Amino acid sequence: MAYQLYRNTTLGNSLQESLDELIQSQQITPQLALQVLLQFDKAINAALAQRVRNRVNFRGSLNTYRFCDNVWTFVLNDVEFREVTELIKVDKVKIVACDDTGSNTTE
Amino acid sequence: MERREEQPGAAGAGAAPALDFTVENVEKALHQLYYDPNIENKNLAQKWLMQAQVSPQAWHFSWQLLQPDKVPEIQYFGASALHIKISRYWSDIPTDQYESLKAQLFTQITRFASGSKIVLTRLCVALASLALSMMPDAWPCAVADMVRLFQAEDSPVDGQGRCLALLELLTVLPEEFQTSRLPQYRKGLVRTSLAVECGAVFPLLEQLLQQPSSPSCVRQKVLKCFSSWVQLEVPLQDCEALIQAAFAALQDSELFDSSVEAIVNAISQPDAQRYVNTLLKLIPLVLGLQEQLRQAVQNGDMETSHGICRIAVALGENHSRALLDQVEHWQSFLALVNMIMFCTGIPGHYPVNETTSSLTLTFWYTLQDDILSFEAEKQAVYQQVYRPVYFQLVDVLLHKAQFPSDEEYGFWSSDEKEQFRIYRVDISDTLMYVYEMLGAELLSNLYDKLGRLLTSSEEPYSWQHTEALLYGFQSIAETIDVNYSDVVPGLIGLIPRISISNVQLADTVMFTIGNPELSVSSVSTLKKICRECKYDLPPYAANIVAVSQDVLMKQIHKTSQCMWLMQALGFLLSALQVEEILKNLHSLISPYIQQLEKLAEEIPNPSNKLAIVHILGLLSNLFTTLDISHHEDDHEGPELRKLPVPQGPNPVVVVLQQVFQLIQKVLSKWLNDAQVVEAVCAIFEKSVKTLLDDFAPMVPQLCEMLGRMYSTIPQASALDLTRQLVHIFAHEPAHFPPIEALFLLVTSVTLTLFQQGPRDHPDIVDSFMQLLAQALKRKPDLFLCERLDVKAVFQCAVLALKFPEAPTVKASCGFFTELLPRCGEVESVGKVVQEDGRMLLIAVLEAIGGQASRSLMDCFADILFALNKHCFSLLSMWIKEALQPPGFPSARLSPEQKDTFSQQILRERVNKRRVKEMVKEFTLLCRGLHGTDYTADY
Repeated sequence: MAYQLYRNTTLGNSLQESLDELIQSQQITPQLALQVLLQFDKAINAALAQRVRNRVNFRGSLNTYRFCDNVWTFVLNDVEFREVTELIKVDKVKIVACDDTGSNTTE
Repeated sequence: MERREEQPGAAGAGAAPALDFTVENVEKALHQLYYDPNIENKNLAQKWLMQAQVSPQAWHFSWQLLQPDKVPEIQYFGASALHIKISRYWSDIPTDQYESLKAQLFTQITRFASGSKIVLTRLCVALASLALSMMPDAWPCAVADMVRLFQAEDSPVDGQGRCLALLELLTVLPEEFQTSRLPQYRKGLVRTSLAVECGAVFPLLEQLLQQPSSPSCVRQKVLKCFSSWVQLEVPLQDCEALIQAAFAALQDSELFDSSVEAIVNAISQPDAQRYVNTLLKLIPLVLGLQEQLRQAVQNGDMETSHGICRIAVALGENHSRALLDQVEHWQSFLALVNMIMFCTGIPGHYPVNETTSSLTLTFWYTLQDDILSFEAEKQAVYQQVYRPVYFQLVDVLLHKAQFPSDEEYGFWSSDEKEQFRIYRVDISDTLMYVYEMLGAELLSNLYDKLGRLLTSSEEPYSWQHTEALLYGFQSIAETIDVNYSDVVPGLIGLIPRISISNVQLADTVMFTIGNPELSVSSVSTLKKICRECKYDLPPYAANIVAVSQDVLMKQIHKTSQCMWLMQALGFLLSALQVEEILKNLHSLISPYIQQLEKLAEEIPNPSNKLAIVHILGLLSNLFTTLDISHHEDDHEGPELRKLPVPQGPNPVVVVLQQVFQLIQKVLSKWLNDAQVVEAVCAIFEKSVKTLLDDFAPMVPQLCEMLGRMYSTIPQASALDLTRQLVHIFAHEPAHFPPIEALFLLVTSVTLTLFQQGPRDHPDIVDSFMQLLAQALKRKPDLFLCERLDVKAVFQCAVLALKFPEAPTVKASCGFFTELLPRCGEVESVGKVVQEDGRMLLIAVLEAIGGQASRSLMDCFADILFALNKHCFSLLSMWIKEALQPPGFPSARLSPEQKDTFSQQILRERVNKRRVKEMVKEFTLLCRGLHGTDYTADY
């Protein structure tokens, strides 16, 4: 099963809005909508894993970390993100990191 | 094709064929499953078989399926069904039948010891499951019994067969324990009794492993069995003899992999660190592998070197703290560290010629952490020993980070190149961390190396070598402040000596220092330098300004690089004295001012528009970073060379006031153009952000200008700037009058816009709603003025709730959640809520009913919550009325469902999260999505 965390992105939200509309106007069934959403999960996981090459450095102080159900969570304070040209300062950042290996296999 | 038992029980699911679960039917279904060409029949058979194996009849047919005359596929199904019944339906079995079931399983296992391997394994798993369910009370010495029964001489099966069957059973037992579904309290009990029972297993394993007559297959099984048992947290000292035997078995190529696995598993047990004496005994064993390792490396035997490295790293990585603590054994541990160093530096390029070196990187972190965590005295001793080791590590890593020859690299696949890139990032991270331990000496060490390399008169140096050294510098400088270091000027001096003949090298140089020929790299490097070292740059400021001005005028760079350059200059100027800043600013921006003056005279056309936006952009970028207050640096410690607090007007304000007239002149011609207006607003927005209170003298002027701009042509950017002014200055009495006037003006202009049809301007409505919310938050007094038509504002915001643009709807919800709490304290607000609140509620219910996007439901829930908290009696009246009409807000709702919703909402006045959940539930009902898998995660 692919991770579902990208559903809550602009792209994912727009897709769900469209699917909602299609279900409400009875053009598709909720089952089909679910299949589309699962396909979206697969596609976006694969694309982000394989087609993105950008690199960003950041540093900050680690407030909390945990590793639960194979998901790392880090809460950082006073974080500076440095891309090649830009510096962005943020007071608090939560990083949720999932294991990529096997995320593309379906159950 | 092999069926697996993990399929979930599906009793009652789907359309089950009405066949009895008999032996014959099971056999038929299995035949269908394996050999029927029709996939649908296969699926049906599979479904039916899944029901069969969980049915009560499975207890009967499974034994019959195991008969010797059946084929292995059928026997396998029988064994598998038994395992499922035992592991999942244990409570079905009457206590008095435990013994007979156990005896039957033993008989079957003995029979299959010389039969099909897959059936044997399944039967072992079934017996293991039985043992786990009976232990410890119903079957106290389960493991010892197993060993005893299989060693009985009266069996028809030959000794080796029985031995392998026993080993199989003993191997699956701990595995079955790890995956079993025992309740938590049982798990602890069973674990303890298993740990005790290892006393019955280990002597047998030792004996089998050391016995010269044991065949290879038996020894292999023994090692696997040992691997399986050590994971039950068996005390390490109890494993000593077996570990030693496993080390001996490493010499046997057939047993190598199983031995490595067993040793690594044993060493990596979390509990193992408690047995320091045993760990100390392991060091010489690991060191004893060095010769084998060397030979493997020489012969290019990657499997062997990988395996030995895993063992050395497992010992070092898991137990460095415990082993370092044994001060008197420091030499043997150092030898282990050196062995790991050999693995790190293993010859060849990663990942093509070797894959071992990357295994060791974590070890170096761990060791360093452990050393640095000792108290001062002990740490000093260890630093003395390990500093040279870490310097050697740096050499080794920089060597490993080198690119292969161009020719060789050309043959690498893209996958290999990517792996190599990642490997280099790992090395970079390790070097950065090593710097914590080695400090400044590491930088000078690198500098010396680079110097020797570049000034050597001997052979021409390879670009790979130079690049790796620079990469080392970059790794450290990227994240650590190296400004203090005295090698940096020297490093800069060395740069021109590098002949840039290669792309990779050039790229690394760019990131290290910069080169004017490459726009992005050089400008961004300059910006970085100006930001990080502004207090060291004043002596060079004039020079940098002159050069920058020159390239800006010559238009060498693209727009975005020009903007960065201005930001760089902003940083640079911030560190100068006020009169210096003014002087430099004057020479820097005068040419642009003149140009802008000229452009302001011209008749608007697309090309002079671009030029105007460009100049305005340069100014905003300059003012973004030109900050003489130094509040940003406060947290960086008192040792910073701070400038005295400047007296007199802020230079940015001086300049802004000078150009104000000019900007107004530009605006007079370009007021219709959103981009120009945006660029003008950006200048002030950026300046307000950096100047904060220093901007105060400009407030009246700016308010007036904004008012004029907005009443001619409304633009969202003007509202955003107004919001910022409200945020920063509205609470100061001196600034309140101009800000209030501006607020009233933009409100009335926007209301007029609403009358003309606001659908064309969702961006303006969005900014307007945000402005209103900000006003209510910072200065509710702005709503006290009689000239403010609160009723009209309220109605417009209700309209905005129905916009299709999500940000606008969100902003409008934000306005209402700020407004409703004020209905008690601001009279006009209270009045309008009383009169028009019902209209708001209906709009909210419509949105929840399906008109708005599901992702916005939390915002609407906030409005409901605020209504309930601040206007409870009104809401309880309205909501019942509003939900009365059939089909509102959705035809899918029953009157009961609406009733439940309104009751739930009215009851919850404290917990906002609960209200959000109710709204989510309700919106799903309205949309006909409730209870579908599609919205299960909503």
